[in-house]
Amino acid sequence: MAEALVIRGLSKRFGGLRAVQDLSFSVREGETLALIGPNGAGKTTSFHLITGFHRADSGSVTAFGRELVGLAPHQICAHGLARTFQVARPFGAMTVLANVMTGAFLRDKRPDVARAKAREAIDFVGLGAKAESQARDLTTIDQRRLEMARALATQPRLLLLDEVMAGLNPAEIDQAVALVGKLSARGLTIVIVEHVMRAIMAVARHIVVLDHGQKIAEGSPQEVVANPEVIRAYLGTGYAHAPAPVAGAAPC
Amino acid sequence: MRKLMRRGGSWVGVLAAAALALPLVVTSSFAIDICIRVLLFAFIGVAWNLMGGYAKQLSLGHAAYFGLGAYTSSILLIDYDVSPWIGMIAGGVVAMLASLPIGALCFRLRGPYFAIATIATAQVLMLLFLKFRDFAWGAEGTTMPNLGSAPLMMQFEGKAPYYYIALGLLALALAITWRIERSYLGNYLIAIGEDEDAAEAIGVNAPKVKRDIYMVSAFLTALAGTFYVQYIYFIDPNVAFSFNVSVEAALVSIVGGIGTLWGPVLGAVLLEAGSALLQSFLGSGRAGVQLTVYSLILMAVILWRPTGLMGLITDAWRRLAPRAPGKKVSGHG
Repeated sequence: MAEALVIRGLSKRFGGLRAVQDLSFSVREGETLALIGPNGAGKTTSFHLITGFHRADSGSVTAFGRELVGLAPHQICAHGLARTFQVARPFGAMTVLANVMTGAFLRDKRPDVARAKAREAIDFVGLGAKAESQARDLTTIDQRRLEMARALATQPRLLLLDEVMAGLNPAEIDQAVALVGKLSARGLTIVIVEHVMRAIMAVARHIVVLDHGQKIAEGSPQEVVANPEVIRAYLGTGYAHAPAPVAGAAPC
Repeated sequence: MRKLMRRGGSWVGVLAAAALALPLVVTSSFAIDICIRVLLFAFIGVAWNLMGGYAKQLSLGHAAYFGLGAYTSSILLIDYDVSPWIGMIAGGVVAMLASLPIGALCFRLRGPYFAIATIATAQVLMLLFLKFRDFAWGAEGTTMPNLGSAPLMMQFEGKAPYYYIALGLLALALAITWRIERSYLGNYLIAIGEDEDAAEAIGVNAPKVKRDIYMVSAFLTALAGTFYVQYIYFIDPNVAFSFNVSVEAALVSIVGGIGTLWGPVLGAVLLEAGSALLQSFLGSGRAGVQLTVYSLILMAVILWRPTGLMGLITDAWRRLAPRAPGKKVSGHG
């Protein structure tokens, strides 16, 4: 399969801090890739670099054959990369529907068309009953759903999810995992940053592990959890004999 | 929803009819002057609100465009005998063009820093017109030539025609806002006001949207400038670039309810009519009493109703009409 996203030698420093150092990995079309690592490893910075919120000091990001470094976030979104934020950032004063319509306007400026597209995305993430609610009144998981719907409404080919499961309870995590599976089944390429290992094992085909801004391991979930370096830096010894992922939850 | 719209439509009809009939009923020159001021500041408020309210780009420098509109038409009238009707449009275009470099500079800043930068732009323009005396009469300003009744030159005998011009301007600004509110731009503006980064992330070209709406806002504000100096027959840098205009533009919107179609109108009615009435009732007594009362009204609104009077009304409406709690007017609260 073709490469959706190719990252080569990506680096970013903030003063003396090397947030991301010489990072390279690639994501194939239709694949779900997880980016994991301890706090401060450079996961979110990588997202910011890919989506244009930070400008890379060096290296390249190519998505669907186009170089993204130097483009503004809205241009990157128009190219088919949509993201969510670590802390959900809904437009609080708008209704859920208006939030998602704002995303849908990227592809079609007619309100009727955008409204229909938005409703479709809202139903897809399971927020249909709350389409007319004010976004600021939503619960955490519903805000995350809203962000996904808003991103989906821009009709992306690649979706970047930044810790969509943080702060959710176990039942909600299962729902979120199912939703990510559904997105992947639709043919979307997904890059997900996550701390919830159970969820990662369930959704990811491929895992990239970061520590101190560098890639320390990469491979299938089974390979990665068995990697001594990953256990030392991130998982802790408790995961050395981690059980296989929950049967049936794996998508694709 | 449609029912609500139709009811809204009939309210607008009643309001428009009342506004049109007002000069027939109110003949006192003092009262109609207050009405003109209300309409004028409602108009400026609506123009300001497009950017300051919907997109929350809190400008305190709209006097820059008010002044550019006033000076453009006055220079054209006095030096070149061009009708202020044409001068008005020319002033709008000048303001629109001026908003490009001003915006390019100020939009680099966000929040209060943006507001401070916009204050500076209006002050700099005022100083330029004060210092360069050969260009436009310097500090002493000038009076407009009195042509008697000359509708084509925007000069009239009575006050009623001025009232209708101000009403027309307000209607224009409201119509533009109404159109924008219902288009994708309405969503984009509110999204930028709520969270610019999140808006960018879903494909909103925030710098371009802000630049465009700033141009519209500047254009409209300039029309008010032309109208005002034609109405008072006088121009000088302090009148044209008065900091007061910048503040009133923001205040009527904030008190009335920012990011709402009718908020600035409501705010202008309360503040302008209120301050004029207070001045006439209290002004002859101790100095400054009317300003104190005015400030108290302001503080009360900002403390208790940060969403403005429109927020108060929509809340009351919801409480009185509990049948469909989910059916709020889409978009903005």
